[in-house]
Amino acid sequence: MSLVFTILSMVFLLPSQGFSQDAAKLFKGNCASCHKPTTQKLVGPGLQGVRSRWTDEAKLIAWVKNSQDFLKTGDSYAKKLFADYGNSVMPAFALSDAEIIAIVDWADKGGDAPAATEATDSAAGATTSAGEGGEPADSETYMYILLGIAALLLILISVLNTVKKSLQSLVNEKNGVIVEPQPHRSPYQQAMYWASQNKKIVALAGLFLTVWVLKLGWDGLMGVGVYEGYAPEQPIKFSHELHAGQNKIACVYCHSSVEKSKHANIPSANVCMNCHAYIQQGPKYGSEEISKIYAALDYNPETRSYGPNQKPIKWIRVHSLPDHVYFNHSQHVTVGKLECAQCHGPIDSMEVVRQYSPLTMGWCINCHRETAVQWEGNEYYEELHKKFLEDSDYKKGDVFTVEKIGGLECSKCHY
Amino acid sequence: MSTTKKYWKGIEELQETPEFLKHKQNEFVEELPVDEFLGNEQLADSSTNRRDFLKFLGFSVTAASLAACETPVRKTIPYLNKPEEITPGVANYYASTFYDGQDFAGVLVKTREGRPIKVDGNEMCPISGGGSNARIQASVLSLYDSARISGPKKGTTDISWSDADKDITAKLEAAVAAGKSIRIMSSTIISPSLMAAIEDFKAKYPGADVVTYDSISYSSIRSANQASFGKAVIPTYNFENADYIVGIGCDFLSNWISPVEHARQYASTRRVNKDKKSMSRHAQIESALSVTGSNADVRVAVKPSQLGAVAVHLYNKLTGSSLPAKSLDGKDSKITAIAKELSAHKGKAVVVCGVNDPEVQKIVNAINENLGAYGSTINLDVTDNMHRGNDDAVKNLIEEMKSGSVGALFIHGINPVYSLPQGEDFKSALSKVGLSVSFADRIEETAAACTYTLPDSHYLESWGDANPRTGVYTLTQPTIQPLFNTRQSIESFLTWAGISKNAFDYISEYWNNNFYPSSTGSAFFSDFWNKSLHDGCVKLNTSTSFVSGEQTSLAESGIDLAATASAIQAESGKASGIELLIYQKTGMGDGSQANNPWLQELPDPITKVTWDNYILMNLDDMNEKGFNTILGQEQLADTVEVKAGSYSVTLPVVAQPGIPKGVIAIALGYGRTAAGKTANGIGANAAPFQKLVNGHLRNELSGVSVSESKGKYHIAATQTHHTMMGRSIVKETTLSEYKKDPKAGNEDILLATNLKNIGKDGKASAKELNLWDSFENPNHFWNMSIDLNSCIGCGACVISCTAENNVPVVGKDEVRRSREMHWMRIDRYYSSDMTEIRAEEEGLGAIDKFLKMEIPSSEDVEVVFQPVMCQHCNHAPCETVCPVLATTHSLEGLNQMTYNRCIGTRYCANNCPYKVRRFNWFRYNENVEFDFNMYEDLGKMVLNPDVTVRARGVMEKCSMCVQRIQAGKLKAKKDSERPKDGSIKTACQQACPTNAINFGDFNDENSAIRGDWNNERKYQLLEEVGVQPSVFYLTKVRNKEAAKA
Repeated sequence: MSLVFTILSMVFLLPSQGFSQDAAKLFKGNCASCHKPTTQKLVGPGLQGVRSRWTDEAKLIAWVKNSQDFLKTGDSYAKKLFADYGNSVMPAFALSDAEIIAIVDWADKGGDAPAATEATDSAAGATTSAGEGGEPADSETYMYILLGIAALLLILISVLNTVKKSLQSLVNEKNGVIVEPQPHRSPYQQAMYWASQNKKIVALAGLFLTVWVLKLGWDGLMGVGVYEGYAPEQPIKFSHELHAGQNKIACVYCHSSVEKSKHANIPSANVCMNCHAYIQQGPKYGSEEISKIYAALDYNPETRSYGPNQKPIKWIRVHSLPDHVYFNHSQHVTVGKLECAQCHGPIDSMEVVRQYSPLTMGWCINCHRETAVQWEGNEYYEELHKKFLEDSDYKKGDVFTVEKIGGLECSKCHY
Repeated sequence: MSTTKKYWKGIEELQETPEFLKHKQNEFVEELPVDEFLGNEQLADSSTNRRDFLKFLGFSVTAASLAACETPVRKTIPYLNKPEEITPGVANYYASTFYDGQDFAGVLVKTREGRPIKVDGNEMCPISGGGSNARIQASVLSLYDSARISGPKKGTTDISWSDADKDITAKLEAAVAAGKSIRIMSSTIISPSLMAAIEDFKAKYPGADVVTYDSISYSSIRSANQASFGKAVIPTYNFENADYIVGIGCDFLSNWISPVEHARQYASTRRVNKDKKSMSRHAQIESALSVTGSNADVRVAVKPSQLGAVAVHLYNKLTGSSLPAKSLDGKDSKITAIAKELSAHKGKAVVVCGVNDPEVQKIVNAINENLGAYGSTINLDVTDNMHRGNDDAVKNLIEEMKSGSVGALFIHGINPVYSLPQGEDFKSALSKVGLSVSFADRIEETAAACTYTLPDSHYLESWGDANPRTGVYTLTQPTIQPLFNTRQSIESFLTWAGISKNAFDYISEYWNNNFYPSSTGSAFFSDFWNKSLHDGCVKLNTSTSFVSGEQTSLAESGIDLAATASAIQAESGKASGIELLIYQKTGMGDGSQANNPWLQELPDPITKVTWDNYILMNLDDMNEKGFNTILGQEQLADTVEVKAGSYSVTLPVVAQPGIPKGVIAIALGYGRTAAGKTANGIGANAAPFQKLVNGHLRNELSGVSVSESKGKYHIAATQTHHTMMGRSIVKETTLSEYKKDPKAGNEDILLATNLKNIGKDGKASAKELNLWDSFENPNHFWNMSIDLNSCIGCGACVISCTAENNVPVVGKDEVRRSREMHWMRIDRYYSSDMTEIRAEEEGLGAIDKFLKMEIPSSEDVEVVFQPVMCQHCNHAPCETVCPVLATTHSLEGLNQMTYNRCIGTRYCANNCPYKVRRFNWFRYNENVEFDFNMYEDLGKMVLNPDVTVRARGVMEKCSMCVQRIQAGKLKAKKDSERPKDGSIKTACQQACPTNAINFGDFNDENSAIRGDWNNERKYQLLEEVGVQPSVFYLTKVRNKEAAKA
C-alpha cells in the first residue's frame, strides 16, 4: 500500500515543485543569449545599469515584453536603441513585471559574473531551461504510473478474492457443508462448460466482439492515408511553441509565400539567419540545435562568414496532400481570410509540429459546405452575392457558402 | 450426357493403338520440352523450389502490404538561400529568343522552381508576335533530352574544358604557323556579339574565316536580289498589306523564311466579320500539297519542273511580253486567270516563290516590281538577316578540306554530315582536317566524325543576342543553370582568342558600346539593358551590318529577262520521268529536333501520319502500280525504293490527294542515325537527293526511278479517313455568298418532330429541343470559339496542349492502334465531289455512295482543317453514362474529368459524339515500353506541376486548361475584380500564330467570345445531336470566285 502512496504522492507533487523566481536562472533562460549582466555588449547591450539608461521603468518593462509593439509608440530612446543595434529585433518575452524587475536588479549588481560567463561562453551549451524541475513529466511517465496502479489494484483484487475463497471454504468446513468435488476438467473444458452454462452472455459477447472487429476494420480502412496527429521528429528540434507561441513571431514572417503561392513554404535557412545571426543560444538546447543551421549554411559564428560547403536541411514533411489534389494556400489565406490555426491547429503551443486536421476530402468538403465566402469588399464576389440573394431558392438565414459558388465541384481541386 | 456419340481426339484413340493406351493416363502424350522453352540453363541448378518460391512470395506480399500501411516519410527540402525572385509554386516568366538557324521567335519562357516548362511567343516581339509554331513550342523538351552529352569530349572520351582548350589553342597556333586556313562553318549567325567574338578570334588567328551554311537554303533569293537590286538580301514580306497573294512552290505559312510572322499577317487579311466583309485572295501553284497550299482559295498542281515556267507565264500575262516558256500541260488557262486577277490588285499584291533558282527568283522580282509590291507588300529596306547560307561557299570549303589546306574546322549550329547532300563526301573530307571541333549538344552524325565535341549550352541555358532583321535586336537569357557541363560557343571562341570574359559580360559590354548609344529614353545603360531584357527585344535605329552594296532600281540592273527565261526553259526541258520534290514537314523541319518525341508524334497537318517520313504519291499513280492507297490499322503501306543517281531510299508510299501525276515527294528531317534513341532509325534521309545547280541547292529532281512494292509497312496515322462523308462537320461558304448572306453555308439544321406547336411543320432547330434541364451558370460560363477561316492547321496548338497538360507520348505502335493521347486533334478533310444528291441522281447504293465519298475529288483538291477538342457539352452524353460520376458538369460550364474517381469503364468515350476522350491504356510514366520523355528522370522535368500525371486505367480529355482558369480567377480575386476578358488564355489559344482560337467568359457581355457567339458564322459541331457544346466554330469562307474589278 505504501508503494501506491509513494507513487501517487510523486504524481501530485511533481508540478508543485513549481516556478523558480531566481533572477539568475531567469536571466540565463531568457536573456543570456543576447545580453551580458555587465556593461559589455553581446548581441544587445549589457544589462548593467539598464534602468538608468531608460527614462521610465515602465517603458523598460514594456520594451522587454514586446519591443516591436513598444517601437510603435515612437519612443525616441527605443528608436535609437533599435537603430544602434542594426535594427535587429529583440523578441517578445512572456515575463511578468516582477520577473523583469528582478532580472534588472540582479544585472545592476553585475550579476554573479562567473556563472553568467560560463553560461554564455561554454560551447557545450549548458542547460539553460527555465528550471529543470519545472518540466512536467511527459505522458509516457504518467502512463507507466497508471499502469503500475492498475496492476497493483488487480493484484489486490486477486489477493482479496483468494482470501474470500479461503474464508468461504473455512466457513463451509466449519458449518459441515460438503461441497461436491467438481469433476476434473482441463482449462479448455472448464471454459466450454462455463460457456454452456452462460449462453446469453456468450451470445452477447460474441455479437459485441463481431461488431467491434468490424468497426476496427472499418476504422483501419478509413484511416489508410490519413495521418492525423502525425508528428515526426525533425532534423532540427525547431519549436513552434517557442517561436510562434512565446516570441510571437507571425507565421507569415517565415512562411512568407503563403499569401501569394499555393505553398506555404518552409523557410529557407537565410530567413532563420535574420535572427540567428545574433541569437546563438536557445533556451532549451543551447547552441546545439542552432548550430545545425550554421552547419547547413557552413556559417562560422566567430568570423560571421559563410563557407562553401552548404548542405540543405532535409525537413520531414508533415502535411502532405496526395498528388492528384490541387490546394492553394493563397486562395484560403488571402482571399478566404482563414487563420492558419483553423486548419493547422494550435501550432503556437506545439513543441513538435503535428498534423492537426485529418486533411481528408470529407474534411475539406465539410468546410466548403459551412464556410461563408468573404465577399464583402471583394469585387469578384459582390455581384455573385447579389445574385445569390435574388435567387428564388434563397431563404432568410441562408449563408453564402463556398458550396454555393461551386466549391464542391471536382475540378476545383482535381485537374 | 446420355449420348452414345463417341468423341475422339485422334485416329490413335479411335483405333486404340498400343502406343495410345500406354500414354492414355498422362496429361501430355509426349514429354514436353519444358527446359527448352523456359530457356534458362541455370534453372536446374537453382536451389529455389516451388515451395520456397511461394514462401518468398507470401512473405514479400505481406511485407509490402505492411510497409504500405506506414506513413511514408517524405522529405521536404527548402532553399538554403532562396533567390528573391523565386516563390515556390508561382511561375516566373522570362523573355528570351529562340533561333536555331531555321526558325526565329521572341519567346516567353515559363519557369517553375527554376525549371523551364513552357515556351510561348512573346507578344512584344515585332517579328513573331505572340504566336509560335510546333518546333518552337517543342523546343523546351529538347532541353531535357537525355541524348545530350554531359560534357566536352575528345572523340568519345571525356575531357576537361581546360585540357580541351589547351589542345585546341596549341593546334590552332600550329595551323597558323603552318599557313593552313582555319574555318568556322556555321548556320547563319545573327548574334552581333557572337560575330564580334569571332572577329576577336580571327584577330588572334589570321586566316580564320566563317563559312555560312544553312540546312535549308535561300541563297537564290539573295543572289537574285543582288542581280535585280544591287544588294544580296532577303527582304521582309508584309502579307497584311496584300489583297492578292500568289505562292509558287512556297510554303510560306509553315516553312519559308519567317513562317510564324507570315501566318499572323496572312490570317489578318483573311478575317471577315460584319464590319469587314472583304478578305485577301490566295492562289497557290505547287506540287506537293503544303500547309500553305491547303489554305489557298485557288490551288494549281504542277510538276516541280514547271514552277519556273509558271513564273514566266505569270510575267508574260502581266506585262504582255512573250518570254520563252514551256506550256503547262493545259494549266496555262488557270495561270492566265490568276495573272488577270493579279493585275487588278496592283500595289496590293505579292508573289512569293520557294524555288531555290536565282533565274526564277529574278522573274519573280520582275513580277513584283510590275505589281508595285516593293514598298507595299515587300520591304527591301528592312531586310531579313537570317538564312544567309551560301551553298557555293560550302562546296568550295569541301574542296579546300579535301586538298588538306584546312588546318582547323569549327562546326557550329549545323550537322552537315547529315544535312548536306554530299554528306558522306564531307565526312571523308573531315578526316583530312587537322583539328575538327563540333559544338553539337550530342554526338550526332557530324560530331562523331570530329576530333572534339564541345557541347554548346541549350538556348534556354544561354546568354545571347540576335539581330534577326534591320533595326530589331533581341536578347536570349538563361532560364536554368546549365544541366550539363556545357559551355556556350561564344565563350569557347573568346577563350581561344585569349579573352577571359563570360558570355554575359561580353554581350552586355557589347550592347553598352554598340547599341546603348543609339537608344533613346534611358538615362543609364543598366536601364536600357534591363528594359531590353524585360521586353526581350528592342528596336534601334541602326542599319544592319549584314548588308553590303547600295540599292539600285530594277530598271538600272539591266537584267536580260529573256535570257533568264530561256535558262529556265532549258532547265525544265531536261526534266523527264518521275519527278521528286524534297519538302519540309511542319513538325520536323530540317530534322535538327528529330529526337524530340513531341514532334515525332505530332501528326503531319496534311497526311496525319506520325513517326515517319514516306513517299507521297498521286492516287492514280499508286493504283496503276497496285500500291495500297488506304491507311488503316491493318492496312499496310507498300514500301518502295526511290533511286536517283547513286542514292536510294526505301520508304512506304502514302497516297496524297493534290499531288500531280508523275510526282513524288519526300520530307527532310528523318533517317537520323545519331540523334538519340527517339529519332534514330526512323524514316530515311532525303537530303542526299538534293543537288547543287549553279551554286544553289535545289529540292526538285527529275528522272527518279520508283521500284515495285518491296514489302509492307505499318503506318501510324491519326486520321485514316479523307473526307467528311457528306456530313456538314466543317461548314464553309464563299466570300460572295457571305456578302449576300452572312449566314451562308451555316443554315440551321432543323429536326423533324411530332410537336405541332413548334416551328414550321413541326420542324425545329436542335437548340429548341431539350431532353434535359439546362444548367445554370451564375458565375462564369467558359466558351471557346474557333475561327475556321483563320486556322491554317499548323499544329502549334497540339504541342502547346501537350506541354501544358502533361500529355504522354505513346509511340508509333500505340498511335497505329488509335491510342494517341493528344487532347486535341486537327481534323483535315479533303473535299469530295460526291454528295447525297448526286448519289441519288446517279442511283448509287449506300455502300457505293460512301466509297465514292471517301475519294477526294481531284488533283486540285480543297482542304479544310478543324481543331477538335472536348466540346464541353452542356448536355454532355458522357456525364449521363458514367457509373461513378467521374465526369460531371461544373457551374462554370466545364465538363469536368476527375481522374481519381474514374474506374475506366470507358462508357463515356463510347458515348461521346466527338471522340475526344482518351484512355490511359498504360502507365506511360513508369513503363519502359514507353521510353520517352515522361519515363526519364530528365524528361520529367518538363512536366507542369499544376496538372496531374494520369494513372493507368483512367479516362482523360481536354479540361479547357482548368488550371489556367483557376489561376486566372484567383488572381482576379486577389485583385478584387472580375477577370478581364482575354486575361485567361488556354494553351492552344496562346500558341496559335493566327489567333484562330478565342476563349472567354460568355457571361461577360463585353467579351470577345460573346461577339463570336453573335457572329452569323457561328455553328456548333454536330448541332443536331443536341448536346449544346461550349466550343463553337465560325464557318470557313473561301474567296473563290473571280474578283470583280
